[in-house]
Amino acid sequence: MKVFFSSFAEPLALGLSTGTWCAMYCVPVLLPFLLGRDESGYKKNSLLIAFFLLGRLAAYGAIGFALSRLGLLAMEYFDPVLARRLSSGAYLVCGIVLASGIYAGRCASCKTALSPDSAVQTGSRRPGFPTEFESNLNPRRNALAAAALLIGGGDRRVSFLSGMSVGFHICPAFWTAAFRSAASPSAAGGVLYFSLFYIGTLPFFLPLAGVPFASARRESLRRIARTTQLLIGAYFIIFAGFIPLAFGR
Amino acid sequence: MAVTAFFSAFMGVVVFFFSLSGNMGSPAHWIYAISMLAVFAAMIHTRAYSRWRRVFQVSFALLFMISFIGILYDERGSMSLTQDTVQSGEVPFCQIVIPAIIAPFALTGRVIFPARMTGHFASVMGMILLWFIATVTIGRGWCGWVCFYGGWEEGASRILKKPRVNLLSRNKDLRSFQFAFLFFVVLMSLGFMSSVYCEWFCPFKLVTEYAEISDLPSLIATVIFIGLFLGLVIVLPLLTRKRTQCSALCPFGAFQSLMDRFSSYRVVIDVDKCVGCMKCAEACSFCAIDRETIREEKGRPELTCAKCGECLSVCPTGAIRYQFSFQAVSDARIRAKGCSPVPKNAPSNRFGAYFQAILDPQYLFVFTAFTFSVIVSGKFIPDAFIRIASIAFGGPR
Ligand code: SF4
Ligand code: SF4
Repeated sequence: MKVFFSSFAEPLALGLSTGTWCAMYCVPVLLPFLLGRDESGYKKNSLLIAFFLLGRLAAYGAIGFALSRLGLLAMEYFDPVLARRLSSGAYLVCGIVLASGIYAGRCASCKTALSPDSAVQTGSRRPGFPTEFESNLNPRRNALAAAALLIGGGDRRVSFLSGMSVGFHICPAFWTAAFRSAASPSAAGGVLYFSLFYIGTLPFFLPLAGVPFASARRESLRRIARTTQLLIGAYFIIFAGFIPLAFGR
Repeated sequence: MAVTAFFSAFMGVVVFFFSLSGNMGSPAHWIYAISMLAVFAAMIHTRAYSRWRRVFQVSFALLFMISFIGILYDERGSMSLTQDTVQSGEVPFCQIVIPAIIAPFALTGRVIFPARMTGHFASVMGMILLWFIATVTIGRGWCGWVCFYGGWEEGASRILKKPRVNLLSRNKDLRSFQFAFLFFVVLMSLGFMSSVYCEWFCPFKLVTEYAEISDLPSLIATVIFIGLFLGLVIVLPLLTRKRTQCSALCPFGAFQSLMDRFSSYRVVIDVDKCVGCMKCAEACSFCAIDRETIREEKGRPELTCAKCGECLSVCPTGAIRYQFSFQAVSDARIRAKGCSPVPKNAPSNRFGAYFQAILDPQYLFVFTAFTFSVIVSGKFIPDAFIRIASIAFGGPR
């Protein structure tokens, strides 16, 4: 009974009780991304959410595994300063994925070859500001286009990578789960704990399935969402990533 | 004349109630009351609403700064926002942050702004109540008539006679950007459980309170604040004759545009009278009229209209006017069916004409909007007069 509680019920309950916090960190990343997609539909939308959640699961699994390998040593290394740095790093990477993801996604959707030799067609049909560019961007000259090239185009990959990077952000719920997982007697136990915690947080992402309702027909809304995604990406890179990492704030 | 006297008498009651009643012996309050009444009477009499609105809003912006900074010095001895002030929750609440606090409050019950809930001239509850009443009455008219920040841009945008940079073709982009920025601020405030707009993007820190510069990040923030103030509040309005911060970056402005559907008044364009001269689009400081607005005969400005009245005064055919929302909606429905709304019957006698005039949405809107101006400025403008007098002539305040 005790084993059932500590291995199954506890991580699930932890996920369910703190899922609001997880959603508060992840929804700002996911919502504009989903709203900004072309030809948004329930099938595509569900797939993108699934990729995001898979990315998050991969991050949780990796951390769970590392912590359970470290065991009680984790208490020594895994202090609040490291957690803060990990979070800042996660934001920095997530910011790059989101900002360049605008171009990656657009390139995939307009089916233009993405190679350093050919200028990258990043725009949609009409010129506009700031997420619909008339001109072509050359990845040799433009950092975001180059990052888009690295990400390789495609909404799914952006979704997976942003989910994974945001998964490394240390929120209070994650922090608790991390320490409980570190106390797990085996690596498999740690992974299991994290996985169940993760499953407990999933119901909070269900409302996102309704996004196509809002975005299906409104090009203006998609345009606004893409600009928001770019702004969030820039904010993550500069204010949540670089400045805390460089100046410890 | 009779209409001017009628509305001015009521405005006299408003001014008395919100400023003069407890300060009968104060010359500053008398000067304020008489000036406000004079501005209002001129507005109604000349029907040059926008000109007098501008006079008020620009003066209010300057005098608000003087009073607010004075109050900060009285309360904490400096304009600087220290960690102690933030931790003790003594920061005056600002309307711009309203859209950012809603989602975090709904999900966690926490107000992410370090202000007092009640018992302060800028408490959270007081400002929310004021915002709510403003929303159901004048809607985004708050930005065009009352906002003490917007007055800075209003002033800067009227210095040059002609724009040096024409933003007309970029109106739609600016509007999109403003909604995207609102969305960004709301999501990031939720994700970080703090007001990211105040931390990094507020141009008005320079004229209210600035964050203490204690490390490099706070220095970077200060550079951003100064850059945004100079760029978006002074230089760009000067060059474009648009209120660029209000049109592109203010989250409260975007939020009020969305809330405006609950307001009691709208600005409508009579498509039968419009001759397509585009003077309104050129005059609109809020980028709320485009070529498409006129060409597609939408019958109203775009979502971001702040009811400032600028377009009313430049339209050569008088095609633009204030209208009650219910009337505007029903007229739009009639037009959608391909018919024209039935014009009102002309009054048969003088009393009828008088009665019709005092129920005219033009006057009622201007009266309501200016009432808000009095409610919000009634404390600050007399206080600024007193502070200026005490500096100029010495002696106690
Ligand atoms: S449309 Fe007219 S009333 Fe509305 S903001 Fe523009 S100028 Fe002012
Ligand atoms: S100023 Fe008047 S006539 Fe000219 S385009 Fe605007 S509404 Fe039409």
